[in-house]
Amino acid sequence: MGTSITRRRRQELIIGVGLLAVLALLPLPIHDVYTRNLIIITVLFAGLAQAWNVLGGYCGQISLSHALYFGVGAYVSTLLLTRAGIPPTIGMFAGGALAGLMALLVGWPCFRLSGHYYAIATVVVGEIGFLLALNWDWIGGATGINIPYRRAIGDSWLWLQFRIDKLPYHYAALAFAAAAWLVAWKIEGSRWGFVWRAVKDDPVAARSLAVRIFPSKMAAAAISGALTGIGGAIYAQYVGYIDPDSVLYGQLSILIPLPAVLGGVGTLWGPLVGAAVLIPLSELTRSYLGGSGRGVDLMIYGALIVLVALARPQGLASLVGVRVRAPAGADDAATA
Amino acid sequence: MTLTFLLQVAVGGLLMGLIYALVAAGLSLIFGLMDVVNFAHGELLMLAMYATFVVWLATGLDPLLLLIPVALALFALGVAIYHLLMARALSVQFNRGMVQIFVTFGLAIFLRGAAQFTFGSDFKSVSTSLLANRTIDMGGIFVPLPQLAAGLVSLLAFAGLFAIGRTEFGRALEATREDREAVALIGIDRDRIFALGWGLGAAAVGIAGVMLATFYYVSPNVGATFALIAYVTVALGGFGSLFGALVAGLLIGEVEALTALLIEPSLKQVGMFVIYLAVLMFRPRGLFGTL
Amino acid sequence: MQRRVLVVAAFVLAIGGGVARAANDVVIGALYPMTGPNAQVGNDARAAMETAVEIINGNHNLPMLLGKGGGLDKLGGAKVRLIFADHQGDPQKARAEAERLITQEHVVALIGSYQSATAATISQVADRYELPYMSADNSSPSLNQRGLKWFFRTSPHDIMFTQAMFDFFRDIGAKTGRKVKSVALFHEDTIFGTDSSNAQKQMAEAAGIKVAADIRYRGNSPSLSAEVQQIKAADADVIMPSSYTSDAILLMRGMHDVGYAPKAVMAQSAGFAEQAFIDAVGPLAEGVMSRSAFALDSAKARPAIPAVNALYRARNNKDLNDNTGREIAALIVLADAINRAGSMDEDKIRAALIATDIPGDQTIMPWKGIKFDSTGQNIAATPVIQQIKGGAYHTIYPFDVASEDAVWNVGK
Repeated sequence: MGTSITRRRRQELIIGVGLLAVLALLPLPIHDVYTRNLIIITVLFAGLAQAWNVLGGYCGQISLSHALYFGVGAYVSTLLLTRAGIPPTIGMFAGGALAGLMALLVGWPCFRLSGHYYAIATVVVGEIGFLLALNWDWIGGATGINIPYRRAIGDSWLWLQFRIDKLPYHYAALAFAAAAWLVAWKIEGSRWGFVWRAVKDDPVAARSLAVRIFPSKMAAAAISGALTGIGGAIYAQYVGYIDPDSVLYGQLSILIPLPAVLGGVGTLWGPLVGAAVLIPLSELTRSYLGGSGRGVDLMIYGALIVLVALARPQGLASLVGVRVRAPAGADDAATA
Repeated sequence: MTLTFLLQVAVGGLLMGLIYALVAAGLSLIFGLMDVVNFAHGELLMLAMYATFVVWLATGLDPLLLLIPVALALFALGVAIYHLLMARALSVQFNRGMVQIFVTFGLAIFLRGAAQFTFGSDFKSVSTSLLANRTIDMGGIFVPLPQLAAGLVSLLAFAGLFAIGRTEFGRALEATREDREAVALIGIDRDRIFALGWGLGAAAVGIAGVMLATFYYVSPNVGATFALIAYVTVALGGFGSLFGALVAGLLIGEVEALTALLIEPSLKQVGMFVIYLAVLMFRPRGLFGTL
Repeated sequence: MQRRVLVVAAFVLAIGGGVARAANDVVIGALYPMTGPNAQVGNDARAAMETAVEIINGNHNLPMLLGKGGGLDKLGGAKVRLIFADHQGDPQKARAEAERLITQEHVVALIGSYQSATAATISQVADRYELPYMSADNSSPSLNQRGLKWFFRTSPHDIMFTQAMFDFFRDIGAKTGRKVKSVALFHEDTIFGTDSSNAQKQMAEAAGIKVAADIRYRGNSPSLSAEVQQIKAADADVIMPSSYTSDAILLMRGMHDVGYAPKAVMAQSAGFAEQAFIDAVGPLAEGVMSRSAFALDSAKARPAIPAVNALYRARNNKDLNDNTGREIAALIVLADAINRAGSMDEDKIRAALIATDIPGDQTIMPWKGIKFDSTGQNIAATPVIQQIKGGAYHTIYPFDVASEDAVWNVGK
């Protein structure tokens, strides 16, 4: 039993490294920037969904406040850059640290709530963050922060700025997604992973096993929030402009978990598969149908979410032979 | 700041609070019955408002006459949504909690797109009705008639829902909620009860939509404006507690108005959110929640 | 897994191939919110721009720039073709769509984009790819202050608009002897509302006018009753709202609901310029003033307006307004610059834009003309002040282009 798990985990790691190589080479033959942009956003969301998965999937807490952590990361690294001249390659870790701290601050009061009370409370916390940022003039308020391309510095990895070259951003997003994946992989094999599975499957039984639930949830929140913050910092640098409406808005808190949910919650591959299907579809429908102004793109996108959620509740990843854990109480535990 | 001034703001908060409560009632009902948070609730409200607008535009009928027809139409829609989507969402073996969140979220996006496809993206509004633009002056405190009527209808709707709770059907609802498996043994068709619950929840939001349409604008995104407040109202009152939704709606209406007045209008929602979080710290199941 | 990813990649490649463009067409990319809360504005913009294309490509014999003959004569009668993209008001999507239009559709210039936040990223992309971004209707004053080489804006920005309002206060005060002594600012918490109210605060101070209330509210609120109550309590001479359609409707209805009839309302256009607003509040809109970049009733000085409006009406069943007028003007100025450049080379187009000097009567706008300063801002864009009478806006200022006398209740 033990050896078969070890073998499976080694296989997963090998597949992961192989996939990383494929994804690293993927944009090379593609020269049009639109498709490259599509791949970057997809990879970034695969990473973000995986970061959410740590808290929402493995630990089973349906958090709908990840826009807040994303926004904190984006704002902290951007402010460090524009106010203090600190390169975003350093700033993104500061942003991640603060986002992780924020997740702890949110988790501390919210983890004592159960089920939908927890979900709605996280929505509200995210919304408070959005409204405060909108009214906080020191961080640019509603006007947002512009990240100008500094011609004096030119294309630079340290400053994570590239005039029209997209490839470096692809590798930044890929490194982020790979790190998130690796964290998830570590968690699956760690004691924490075991504890969280226990918490998720049966909180009452877990308590009787002398598992301290609250600290373990806090750990999940900190990791998940910190990773999401780093993702936010990369996004800010990539887009070159942030404002509360683009990095803190409520719907983002649903868009981040969406790939994980449709791909397969609490699985290694779910977020990636979900993002690979969902992001291109939403971008392409908007690009080719959104211009009509008739809302057809929204109809297709919405219908797709409904269909996938109903037809493949265990996630799209199960279609490609990814093992999905038995439902032993997992369904209700997710809401309980 | 004079007393009249404060009273005027309080009356505005009260009337808005009754609307919030009515919008939240349907959400609370559906949740209480089957542990489902309907993320398309705002879109049902939006559809009810469009229905009111379209019929008013075509026939010139006063929106107040449309209360019953629109409520019935929404009832049918609610039942249809249950049979087409929610029955499946509730029977999945994996991640039931998330599946239902994202099925209703997807439905919300779809309905927004469908509304834009059908009605266009223009802001519409019902400009003539019995009540439109009428306001009564009560010793310096002004009470707009459409909002007053909406508040009264809200109270009536709550009375109706409480009354339903005392009927045979209401007891069946209650029993289904308390023990989903056991009711089958005593001959209650769970599926039918759930479908009726969805119908009733949608009808309640339909009533709210008609009343809102008498003084509010209609657009494909109007639901989102009210949806978040509805979720907070339901959670603050306690999931499944109709009485809680009423109290929470009123509380939120007042807190919102007073925050706008005393602190900063752009932070008025922060006021209600903070109150909500504070209450949850002491009562994790909301004010009157049992679930 | 790898195979899966490759399949996805192949799918992306297949779709990403894009649409081939017809030879010799001048292709311009237009970015607007076609879905989401501001979809209405985007869809109106689409109709306006298509009207402008119809004018440029067809032979309508209109007394305006590019109004005669078909196509661009210096490019062998080449036709202008627009490709629309939906940015949903999201800066990231605006950026991605701008890049798609540039690299895949091979547009020679971009035009857009309503929300200033989206213009921030679109103009940045245009600057990086070195092709012109023509801002048709973004009104944030900060946009042309970012040192971008490829940014051009035909329309006035909010400081210029606000200046016109305070000029009007001064002149109407001198004319009637009833001066504005206090204003109440009412603005939403977005980039638009913030910029607008900041300019208003400064200019009120400079003019010695008291700011009796400065209310920043949450956009798209369910209710504005408490805010309206504060406006009523301040009882200023003029209420100055900066709001989109939804809140404009709530504000006017809300003031009526609490029994308050303001002496004067001077709006920063936006929602107040929309027909949906006038339809929704009906008689309550009477007397509302707004700044405008466009004056539908200035046909005497701008003879092309009735015909252009008729073309637009045929498409969209509405009259031209502040936004749609500016959109038509911006596209025609851009097309004219491309024509004068006689080439689709971006540097030549930029040089032609910089050399632009179009007298006002060659456009449908009531401006002195079109002439860009070194930041790309049109400095000859002179706004007008309009007032709603009988359910439609009429120009009341500057007095020499006015079609009606102002109804001025301040000080009465």
